[in-house]
Amino acid sequence: MKKSQTGIWIGEKDLNHDPEFIKQAQQGEGRASLVDAIGKDNALAEKEGGRRDFLKFLGFGLGAATMAASCDIPVKRAMPYVIKPDDIVPGVATYYASSYVKGGDYCSILVKTREGRPIKIEGNALSKVTHGGTSARAQASVLELYDVNRFKRPAIKDADGNLAEDNSWAAVDGAVKSALSSARGIRVVTNTILSPTAKKALAEFTAKYPSAKVVTYDPVSSAAMLDANQQSFGDRVIPSYRFDKAEVIVSFNADFLGSWISPIEYAHDYAKTRKITSVANAKMSRHVQVESHMSMTGSNADNRIMVKPSEQSAAVAYLYNEVVGGNISGGKINAKAQAAIRTVAKQLTAARGKSLVVCGNNNLGEQLLVNAINSHLGNIGTTVNFSNASLQRQGSDQAVETMINDIKRGNVDVVIFNDANPVYDYRGGARLAEALSKVKTKVAMSFGPSETSALCNIVAPVHHPLESWGDAEPKRGHLSLIQPTIKPLFPTRQAEMSLLTWSSSPNVNLNAEQPYYDYLKSAWQTTAFAGQSTFATFRGFWDQALHDGVITAGNGASIASGISNGIGNAASLLAKPSSSEMEITFYETVNLGNGQFANNPWLMEMPDPVMRTVWGNHLAIPVNFDGYETFVGLNDLKDGDLVELTVNGNTMTVPVVQQFGQMDGTVALALGYGRENSGFAASGTGVDVNGSLGENGGYTDYNVSSVSISGKVGEDDAHASVQYHHTMGVRDIDSVTGEEFNADEAALAPGYGSVPFVKNIRGFQGSLVERSVIFKSNLSVLADSVDEMKHKREEFEHLNEQTLYPFEEYQADKYKEGHHWGMHVDLNACTGCGACTVACMAENNVPVVGKKQVNRHQEMTWLRIDRYFYGDAENPNTVYQPMMCQHCDNAPCENVCPVNATNHSSEGLNQMTYNRCVGTRYCANNCPYKVRRFNWLDYTTADIFPANQPTVNGEEIPYGADDLTRMVLNPDVTVRTRGVIEKCSFCVQRIQEGKLTAKKERRALRDADVKSACMTACPTGAITFGDQNNKKGELYKANQSPLNYIVLEEINVRSSVQYTMKVNNRDESLDA
Amino acid sequence: MSAPVSPIRTPLIEGHKSYHDITEDLVSPTEKIPGGTWVIAFLISVTVLLFGITCILYTIWTGIGTWNLNRTIGWGWDITNFVWWIGIGHAGTLISAILLLFRQKWRTGVNRAAEAMTIFAVMCAGLFPLIHMGRLWMAMFIFPYPNTRGPLWPNFNSPLLWDVFAISTYFTVSLLFWYTGLVPDFATVRDRAKGFRRKIYNFLSFGWTGSAKHWQRWEALSLVLAGIATPLVLSVHTIVSFDFATSVIPGWHTTIFPPYFVAGAIFSGFAMVQTLMIMTRKVLNLQEYITIEHIESMNKVIVATGMIVGVAYLTELFISWYSGYIYEQFAFFNRALGPYYWSYFGMMLCNVISPLLFFKKSLRRNIKFTFFMSIFINIGMWFERFVIIATTLARDYLPSSWSFYVPTWVEIGIYIGTMGLFFTLYLLFVRVAPVVAIAEVKSILKTSGDQYVGPNALPHDDHDDHGHDADHETHEHVHEVGSHGGTDSGDGTMLRSSAMAAPAVAADAVTKTEGVEKSQEDKSSQIVSGTAEDDLKKVEGIGPKIESLIKDAGIKTWTALADSSPETIKEILTAAGSRYQTHDPTTWPDQARMAAEGKWDELEKWQDELDGGKLS
Repeated sequence: MKKSQTGIWIGEKDLNHDPEFIKQAQQGEGRASLVDAIGKDNALAEKEGGRRDFLKFLGFGLGAATMAASCDIPVKRAMPYVIKPDDIVPGVATYYASSYVKGGDYCSILVKTREGRPIKIEGNALSKVTHGGTSARAQASVLELYDVNRFKRPAIKDADGNLAEDNSWAAVDGAVKSALSSARGIRVVTNTILSPTAKKALAEFTAKYPSAKVVTYDPVSSAAMLDANQQSFGDRVIPSYRFDKAEVIVSFNADFLGSWISPIEYAHDYAKTRKITSVANAKMSRHVQVESHMSMTGSNADNRIMVKPSEQSAAVAYLYNEVVGGNISGGKINAKAQAAIRTVAKQLTAARGKSLVVCGNNNLGEQLLVNAINSHLGNIGTTVNFSNASLQRQGSDQAVETMINDIKRGNVDVVIFNDANPVYDYRGGARLAEALSKVKTKVAMSFGPSETSALCNIVAPVHHPLESWGDAEPKRGHLSLIQPTIKPLFPTRQAEMSLLTWSSSPNVNLNAEQPYYDYLKSAWQTTAFAGQSTFATFRGFWDQALHDGVITAGNGASIASGISNGIGNAASLLAKPSSSEMEITFYETVNLGNGQFANNPWLMEMPDPVMRTVWGNHLAIPVNFDGYETFVGLNDLKDGDLVELTVNGNTMTVPVVQQFGQMDGTVALALGYGRENSGFAASGTGVDVNGSLGENGGYTDYNVSSVSISGKVGEDDAHASVQYHHTMGVRDIDSVTGEEFNADEAALAPGYGSVPFVKNIRGFQGSLVERSVIFKSNLSVLADSVDEMKHKREEFEHLNEQTLYPFEEYQADKYKEGHHWGMHVDLNACTGCGACTVACMAENNVPVVGKKQVNRHQEMTWLRIDRYFYGDAENPNTVYQPMMCQHCDNAPCENVCPVNATNHSSEGLNQMTYNRCVGTRYCANNCPYKVRRFNWLDYTTADIFPANQPTVNGEEIPYGADDLTRMVLNPDVTVRTRGVIEKCSFCVQRIQEGKLTAKKERRALRDADVKSACMTACPTGAITFGDQNNKKGELYKANQSPLNYIVLEEINVRSSVQYTMKVNNRDESLDA
Repeated sequence: MSAPVSPIRTPLIEGHKSYHDITEDLVSPTEKIPGGTWVIAFLISVTVLLFGITCILYTIWTGIGTWNLNRTIGWGWDITNFVWWIGIGHAGTLISAILLLFRQKWRTGVNRAAEAMTIFAVMCAGLFPLIHMGRLWMAMFIFPYPNTRGPLWPNFNSPLLWDVFAISTYFTVSLLFWYTGLVPDFATVRDRAKGFRRKIYNFLSFGWTGSAKHWQRWEALSLVLAGIATPLVLSVHTIVSFDFATSVIPGWHTTIFPPYFVAGAIFSGFAMVQTLMIMTRKVLNLQEYITIEHIESMNKVIVATGMIVGVAYLTELFISWYSGYIYEQFAFFNRALGPYYWSYFGMMLCNVISPLLFFKKSLRRNIKFTFFMSIFINIGMWFERFVIIATTLARDYLPSSWSFYVPTWVEIGIYIGTMGLFFTLYLLFVRVAPVVAIAEVKSILKTSGDQYVGPNALPHDDHDDHGHDADHETHEHVHEVGSHGGTDSGDGTMLRSSAMAAPAVAADAVTKTEGVEKSQEDKSSQIVSGTAEDDLKKVEGIGPKIESLIKDAGIKTWTALADSSPETIKEILTAAGSRYQTHDPTTWPDQARMAAEGKWDELEKWQDELDGGKLS
């Protein structure tokens, strides 16, 4: 036996090669290999079950079990493209020009897609309407695409009223067609349609079914205005308002910066007249808002003239009398308003042709008078233009009423709702709902469930605009395309296709791959292409239009220069001032409209710009200073108290908010809340007020006089407001000294009423206004204010130099080389619309936390807009201050983190390393700006165990836990886990992308390479982001303004964000 | 009492203890089956602790969102409790280390329990910085250890990191100090124990034999640890205060914080010691070891530190006004008159105003009042931390972010849970270790007891004292060879076999009855009140017992005694029993006259000549 090659031996005998041992070993039973043993027939059977066999079977068993178990592992689909589409590079975003259209809402957009899924909306700078701006609604529309509650398949209701699960489009089409063919009357109910091609499809439908009538209405009606324009100018359109050309703007209840007609466009123009470029030649428009509640636009106004809702008509009439010189008796308005309007009339007249009067009230008489005023002032053709007139409102209130009556008479068999929800958002929704029971076939071409679709027996779900082809004509001569950026997620079909299918149109090939695309193209070939002369071939024209998203094609039709029909019977149409003690205004909010946007958690969690509340509508009640130490709300109510509000006989329980600038004897409540069966975010949030709206001459009246409010009946246990303190120095008269002083500063001590030894203690003067948070001025004293601020800043800088560790020596030059990122915020341009806040949520995967969490001040927004009232306590001015991480170069948060989770980049960025963060929240405490946010709970559902995930609004699974909603996440931004701090990163992913682009193209970084999400979202250009070291950049230019200041400069944190002084153009003579 | 001469302190241990008594009294709680009070207290503590653990687990499982902290107020009850407990943990080491260095012998009665309190308080405190983290499972990131994440170490600029080191060092040193003191006492317990208990205590006492070398090393180690611990007492709370002082938040960014925090810590620590000691001495019958003198001494520390804290509060107010800095001014305005005004006034009342009552001696020596005050002060100190942390954060620079904060039940539960933890540990401690340091107490028995000739001194002619005296003398010898505790030979038990055994036992008996029958409180109140009655014990030869006999017979003042004949007094003594027969009252009336006439110098001189009040 040769010596063991391996050197392994068993015992002494083996080592000595004892022959007997070797023999025994060779014969040894246990030594046969497993392979040998299995290979031999019966080898296993012959053996007795020994230790090795046990191991063999165990091993096999384990292997088999593993194999079997592994078959059930869910397949994670992360497949590469077999054939890669040309326009998709993994990791690189692709942008498509498209349009955001919902009802009359319009915004030209670029859709950012990653790996074929839309994740972000950007403004399209090529648009001559929206100029690259966006609104919160447009920003949030991408989340709507991934709405878990949207209709996912066509359905027909069975006999029990349940929607069947398995209906095919063929079945639905069959049912609808048969219903249509035998129908005596057909109604198509729609909100304003901006799309010429959709109108063409609708025309084909009505041609096929002559009994069909189209009923157009708007969720928030402008019908009176349209009718007035019809009467005055012979054109039922909204004129194109030029706020940039107006020196004096008077707005009667029109929230043109927030929600009225075309706010992105108006805000863009308006801001042009508000930005101050030079101190010496400072010029601003004067904006006077006539209203009772503090609207977002009113909060931006220089002067607010407070009139009760029922005095609006009288106020318009009074202005008419003053300007035009007529003698219309509209009734009495309060003396203060009267005096103010007289002054305003003079200013308007002085600014002939450069003034603008707009009116948001749905009252035909008022609108006729406003037309007459504008006409008299020579504004038609300058600030009020009928070339490029707006088509964004086309609805008619009477049309709906007529339809309801038709249905009641039994003349209607089929009603098709084109993604409209009149049961909820029309004032007579309840009557409509009742009437609908008489209609045999009700078809909801609806995106998601709504109050209306719940009453329908056929659901023909529609695409999201981001899945659709389409076009829009928001203003005459401005055409805009909608192109799909993702394949439809569900077997839905866009409304136009449904109509064309049901009308068996010969112009559409249903078997084509994209039938509506072909239809749209051919429509454009005959209209838009035919109307232009730049392109010779349709192909070239089409490609360019699709690339740009917008085309401009002339001015559109009529140009009216004056009133053709006079004011007619305007006087008799005016509303009469009421003697009611309490009146209410119902208003449209920036975020929810009249409920169309309610099922969008981003919009629900976006604070109302003025009230700063989320997740629900709150009754704005007036608040007054008691002359000594306390602000007292109506009926002694405090924020979050519940009251019973009775309007037109409807009683509802609503929480209240003490609202500065709310006129005494009036309250206000937002539309759009309190929806039912409309998805988890919308359902049951807030109260529905549409049933309480008034009516005047067939028009929905949003001002109601018969109101009563109870005392406190309870408390909202989750009163969700993101700001507790609202003022920054509002002035009132001290009842003791009779002198004017800062009322809110006096009110800072709680004033314990009956507690004797603290009874007479008040806050000290200067405790708010001395803070270097907001610098404000009036245009008339601007130079002095700038000078004063300059001295203050010099003092701050002097203070900051008094240090043991001179900044200059160790840090001043640190960021001189390379990039030094910074930001500039123009407070005069910021209107508070909140588009940036939603853009930030979308860009940075900021979680939605829900009402309860906001109530506990645990909201997660990286970018918030602080809103402060200042000036007259009764009728204050407002300043909006977007507040995000200031990226301090001497950041207090950085040195306190025990684990180095937050640190400074060489480019001046304050960075957050989520993986490193252990969540001590020390940095958040030490942040003077309080911009750091902590993941209190598992908002992003990243934990292994789902048991601890919070739900947002009573939905079945936590918000964002499903794959559908997660599709909206930006893959470039980490989703944060529970227990870590996060905050604004200056969109570091965009910076990185821009730097890489420049590097790839072997050139220096340009200003345009990097733009933060908030900057691109802003409709007014209030935010400028860039490299402070780039002397050619926009930021460098903006940073040179003498109006600039740094918030809390004296604490020497060296913030990288500069703000401009807030300047108003308030005319004190109007307050007298 | 209006005694013009009191050059020497009152005895630190009362009740004429022998060394054996001390052993007996202090070890017995570890040997007996716990009483009903203890069992009930323990059950309550454990229940509360379990509730606290539940709350902690819920927090870790669900997230810090179970607390009501928010984007503005990042720290609330959690860090308030942390600082509060750390503050409480200051008294123990101060008593054992600093007072050791200052040779304050009264500390021996309370240092053991105070140190235990320190350790348990630091454990409670240490819990909060851990569970307040959003990601507790990543807590190791705060330790500097070699890791694979590159050269990524903690941020040494962060005060929170300094805390980690400060607290862990403090805890380690305190624990060592405490345990070092326990070693000889564990040996004593071991020597009396049998079976398995003996083995455990043998292990715990590291095989202590009580040899001279052991004692010498033990003393040396104690001194070294005291030296190390002393700066720690000052440093720990200084560093905790840096958490706030180094920030930019108005109301936090204050240079006064370090001394103010340390003073506050000692203040609250002593208050907690009072709370515990007053309960412990009552429950374990240790009134003679933890005497009214201890309580008074600690009350003096409390009043002193309370005034430091008060001055600090006022300084802060002044500086904020004087600074002319709007944010600072507002921060203090807000503390006093903002929405959390009640916590500020609670703090002022509990910490500044009420401790001033301790300037009155009768209140300082009033146990019930002291107990009440100790609780009151700890509430006040909790308010102080709450004012500093939550109130300050609630309203800082930007008014838009101002917020308000009310804790959830989880936060309250965790706080109460730490109380449960603390008392559970403390209750276990009193059952397994002598609550008073036996060895150290024995060392002061004679030096500050027998040489004492003040009003509380026992007359040498007193029958009881003979035995006691003899015992001491014998013991003094033992002490010299360095074995005053720990072994059998050290605690006097074995001495009983000597000729002195019988009187010693008798003395024990008397001392015990006396101790039980006539509590120290009564005596002291008598001394203090001193209205119609004089302290007849000033007369050499009259002890407390005889004094009461004489007073019962109607002789209540020195004058009355001076007017009595020695025979009358003798009769009184004879009537009281044979044990008083040996007393010779011959000189008593004359002594009493001197006292009545205020001739104290003369009396003292004469008493030096007398032997136990007898003419020698």
